[in-house]
Amino acid sequence: MKGKALIGMAPLLLIAGCGSEKAPELPGDPVKGKMAITAYGCGSCHIIPDVPGANGHTGPTLERIAKRTYLAGVLPNTPEEMVRWIRAPEQVDPRTAMPNMAVSAGDAHDITAYLYTLK
Amino acid sequence: MTIRTRQRLIERIRKRLLMRLAVGLMGVLLAMAAGATMFVFWGVYNVSALQQHTEPVYSLLTTALDRSISQRAREVDVPPLEQPSMSERGLRHYRDNCVQCHGAPGVARHDVGKGMTPVPPNLAHTARNRTPAEIFWSIKHGIKMTGMPSWQFIFSDEEIWDIVAFMRQMASLSPTEYQAMAANANGKPKEAEVSRSFANPERGRLAMYGYACIACHRVPGLVGPQADVGPPLAGMGARRYIAGVLANNNDNMVRWLRHPTQVDPLTAMPDLDVTEQDAKDIAAYLETLK
Repeated sequence: MKGKALIGMAPLLLIAGCGSEKAPELPGDPVKGKMAITAYGCGSCHIIPDVPGANGHTGPTLERIAKRTYLAGVLPNTPEEMVRWIRAPEQVDPRTAMPNMAVSAGDAHDITAYLYTLK
Repeated sequence: MTIRTRQRLIERIRKRLLMRLAVGLMGVLLAMAAGATMFVFWGVYNVSALQQHTEPVYSLLTTALDRSISQRAREVDVPPLEQPSMSERGLRHYRDNCVQCHGAPGVARHDVGKGMTPVPPNLAHTARNRTPAEIFWSIKHGIKMTGMPSWQFIFSDEEIWDIVAFMRQMASLSPTEYQAMAANANGKPKEAEVSRSFANPERGRLAMYGYACIACHRVPGLVGPQADVGPPLAGMGARRYIAGVLANNNDNMVRWLRHPTQVDPLTAMPDLDVTEQDAKDIAAYLETLK
């Protein structure tokens, strides 16, 4: 019976092992960011988890984007770089198909805060 | 006591014994499963490359490896290996691609080949103890969990046979002879590849392992680290752009796979020397991902 109890514990140990990551401090508001994503229509080109209607196939999916090593294949993924990319993609990579949507600095921070919840 | 009641009693005792046996067996199996789970979970096994397996584990793994290779080598047809031109070409490939881990007569392996477990074998020894078919199979397919890569997307079968031919010659070379030969052998550009006209998606799937694509991308149909260095490739067949810069069609995908840094000089995706045929096959596989 001791064996059974140990097997029962195994999933608990797994969960305990995964939950210890610390989220980075982000200036934006993820709830406002999610609304901004809908307002700017990001979902017409990207799959974005938990954003209704965001199922575009023009650009890459943004699933687990917080874990992505590079943004757009060119930028090391940090919150600052993500804000820069969202606001002026053509300045980061002149060849990109992603348009400049005239995103305000505040909105870009909120959107980044939301995207960083996608792990 | 009638015969019938006695029979019933015996029957009851037999059933009870069987039940106990079954319960006991279940208990032992559960305890073993729990033990194995904990062994993995608590990280009991030391994976350090400098902590060699114990002798019994080492023997077991080596036997499994030997048996696996010799079973599969049976399917390999061995061509004649005696022509001198073969081992001449093989020497160049050997010097440029094998020495760093395996060394050569009188030539030390590079640092990358030193602290490995299992240790990359001395190939003069291998050439004396293995059949040409076994050596060919190991080079072509590589060996899991040993550090030996598969070379089939880098060398053609003919080139691998050249290496086998040279290894057999190497087993009887003195260090001085090897070094003189290696110094005189000129590097030669790879021969123009033969492209088939059709693309093979299943071969493309294998090629994505061969070029280490899964080190950076999640690819449906491939088992791997599920790393998000670059974007996941699920739905790639339906994606409108490649890398955010190229319209997604077959020609562009082949171009991107072969020379990403020419398409976008800023990209983190490196040129992996993908051959045209391999790129076509990979593109064919990616197109199936809707």
